[in-house]
Amino acid sequence: MPAGEAPAAPAASPPVARARTDRWAWVGSPLALLPLLLVATVAIVLLVASGLHNFGGSFWSTRYNFLPGDPAGSSWGIGAFVAGTAITAGLALVLATALSLALSISIVVYLPSLPSRVLTILTNLLAGIPSVVYGIWGFVVLAPYFGFTLEPGLRDVLGWLPGFGGPASEIGPYGILLAVFILTIMIIPLTTALMRDALRSVPHDLIDAGLALGATRWEVARRVRMRTARLGIGSAILLGFGRAVGESVAVAMVIGAVPRLPLSLYSASTSQASFIFYQLDSAFFYPFLLRFLVEIALVLLAIALIVNLAAQRLTRTEIATATTVGGAGGP
Amino acid sequence: MNDSLTGTAPRGSRRRSFSAGVAVGLAVVLLIVGVGAGFAVGKYYGNSTTTAASGSCSTTISETGSSLIYPYLQILSPNYTAQNPGICLSPQSTGSGTGISSAESGVVDIGGTDAYLLPSTAAQYNLINVPIAISAQLVVYNLPGISQHLNINGTIAAMIYQGTITKWNDPLIVAANPGVSLPSNTIVPIHRSDGSGDTFMWSSLCYMSWAGWKQGYGTTISWPVGPGATGNAGMVTTLASTQYGIAYIGISYLSEIKSTAGLQYGALGDQNANYNGSVSSGGAGQQNYIMPTPQNISQDANLALANLQPPSVAISLILGGVPGATNLQLGKGGTNSTATYTTPYPDTNLEYTLISLEPKSTAHQKWVVNFLEWALTYGGTYAAKANFLPLTAEVIGYDMLALNAVPVSA
Repeated sequence: MPAGEAPAAPAASPPVARARTDRWAWVGSPLALLPLLLVATVAIVLLVASGLHNFGGSFWSTRYNFLPGDPAGSSWGIGAFVAGTAITAGLALVLATALSLALSISIVVYLPSLPSRVLTILTNLLAGIPSVVYGIWGFVVLAPYFGFTLEPGLRDVLGWLPGFGGPASEIGPYGILLAVFILTIMIIPLTTALMRDALRSVPHDLIDAGLALGATRWEVARRVRMRTARLGIGSAILLGFGRAVGESVAVAMVIGAVPRLPLSLYSASTSQASFIFYQLDSAFFYPFLLRFLVEIALVLLAIALIVNLAAQRLTRTEIATATTVGGAGGP
Repeated sequence: MNDSLTGTAPRGSRRRSFSAGVAVGLAVVLLIVGVGAGFAVGKYYGNSTTTAASGSCSTTISETGSSLIYPYLQILSPNYTAQNPGICLSPQSTGSGTGISSAESGVVDIGGTDAYLLPSTAAQYNLINVPIAISAQLVVYNLPGISQHLNINGTIAAMIYQGTITKWNDPLIVAANPGVSLPSNTIVPIHRSDGSGDTFMWSSLCYMSWAGWKQGYGTTISWPVGPGATGNAGMVTTLASTQYGIAYIGISYLSEIKSTAGLQYGALGDQNANYNGSVSSGGAGQQNYIMPTPQNISQDANLALANLQPPSVAISLILGGVPGATNLQLGKGGTNSTATYTTPYPDTNLEYTLISLEPKSTAHQKWVVNFLEWALTYGGTYAAKANFLPLTAEVIGYDMLALNAVPVSA
C-alpha cells in the first residue's frame, strides 16, 4: 500500500509552455496536499472508529479468544496476527531477495541481450497478474499438492531443521508454507525490477575501473555493482516487504486463517490483512469484533507507512550518494 | 531549477499567483471531499430504495446478504419477473452480516441471512424474519478403512472441537458406535476460517450439547484446536487431504462429499441430555442417531415450529428448537416430546430474509411482500437447483401469517 506519490509539481519545462505550467501550478501544487490529507483522514477515521478501546498491555499479547456472546470475557491480543504477518512476509522476502538478486544480476551482467530482454519482459508480465489469481491458483491447484505430497515429504527429509518438523497434525493443504510460496512469487517481479534498475544505474567508470584492475565479472558484480547499488537493493527489499505485508486476498485464500502462533511451517496461521478480509462480514454481527478489526488495520497502516517511508529514505540517500561521485564506491 | 530557465517573472506576482493557486486548489480539494461525502451520505441515508427503472423494470426489489441464499434468489429472479412483468429482483451476494446491517439501515428491501435476527433486535429495527429455505450441517470425516455412517452426537462433537476428545477410539465414540472397530489415531477437527452460517449452526450444536463448551456460538468463534479452511469447498479439500480429520459441511455439498474418495458423513444424535450436567462415562444419554435425509431435516423444521407463536418466525432449529428462541439455551432438551416428528435431524437451520414492518413506501413494499409470497408458493420447485430443501407446508403457513403483518398499499 504505497502512499500515493504527489502529483507532479511544476518541474523544469521549456519557456514556451510557461503560461500553461503556471496555470497548472494554481491547481496542481495544492492538489499535492490531497494524498497527505487522505492518509491523515484514514488514520483519524480508524482511530475514532476503534476508540483505542483495546490498546494496552494485553493488546500486544498473542492470546486471541473471541467469544461472540461475551465481549468482556474475550481476549483481544494482536500478537498472533502480527507474528503471522511478519513470518509470512519475512520468509517470502528472504526467498524473493535471494531469487531476484540472482535473477537481476543474470539479466544485467551475464545474459546476452536477447534472453536478458525476454527475461525482463517475463518478469514484468508476472508483475501484472492480480494477486487473487495467484490466490485461487494456490487454493485450487497447489493446496492439495502441498497437503498430500510436499509437506509430508519435507517433514520426513528436513524434519530435523527448526520449523520443518513439528507434529504431523499440523500438516494440511492451507498454511504458512503455501502462503510464503504465493507471496514469494508475487513479490519477485517487483523486487527484480527495482534491483535490476539499481544494478544498471551503477556508473560505467566504476565497472570499467574494476575490470581494468583484473577483477572477474563476478567480482565486479559483487564488489562494485552490488556495493554501489546497495541502497537501491535495500529499498527494493523494503518495498517488496511492504507489498507482502499488505496482501490480503491471496494470503487469506491459502493460509488457513487460524489466529494462533504457528507450531511449524506447515501450521495454519493468519495475517493481519487476511484476517480482516475474512472476518469483516461477521463483524457486522458483533460490533466489538469490528472495533478489533479496525485496530488491526491501524497497526497495519502504521507498519505500511514506516516501511514505505524507510524505502523512500533509502532511495533519497542513494540519489544523494550517487551525485557525490566516488563516495559510492565504498572503501 | 525552474528559475534559471524562466526566471523573468517578478517575485511579487509570483507569490500572489501562488497564494491564489493555493486557494483554488483547496477549493478543488474541498469540492472533491464534499462530493464524496455527499455521495456517501446519500448512499447510506438516502430515502430512495426504488432504483430508477432500468430496461423493462418499473420496480426493482433490492436484496443483499447471505452468499448461501444468493444462488437460490438468482434462480427465482427471472422466473418471478416472467410472471410479474416490470417487477425485478436484484440480489447481491455480500454475506449475512452485511445483509443484516443493510436491512437495519434500510438501504435494501430484503436482507438475506443464515442466522436469524434475534426477535429483540428485530423489534428494535422493525424487521421481521421470513424463512425461505432449509439447510442442514453434515458431520463428515476421513477415516481410512471405515466406510459406514458413524454415530456422532453434539456432546462428542463439542468435546472433539474443544480438544477434550483427541482419539478416534475414545470411549464415548466407541460407545456410540457398537461393533465398529475405531482406530487409535488422533482426530484433526477442521473448522471454517471465514465467517459463516455453517459455523453458526455447528457452534450452536456444540454450545447446546455440552456444559464444558467454552467458546460460545456465532458466525465466527475462536476454535481452540485444529486447522481452518475457507468455504465449504475448502472444507472438502482440506478434509480429503487430512486423514483422521473431521469437519462440518453444509448439506448443499453432499454430492461433492459423496464423490470425494475417503470422505463419509455421519448420523447426529438427537439428545442434548447433558447440557447442564456432567458427561457420564457411559456416553451422552439415550440417543437416537438421525441421518440427514430430506425427510428428517423437514421433520426438525416442523418440530421446532410446532409450538411457535407468530408473527416473528425466528427460531433455533438446533436440536429441535423451541418457541420464541430469544436465546439458544432455551433449545435444550425435549426433542422427542412430539410424537408426530420422531426423527428430526438435529443440526438444521432456516435461511432467512429480513423485511421492514415500517417501509418508507407501502406501495413499494407491496411488491416486496408479493415477491416473498410468490417465492414461498412456487419456490419449492426451484429449491433443488440451489441445493436447498423446499420449505415444509407448516413453515410456509407461518411465513404467510408473518407477512400479513407488513403494511402494504395498492
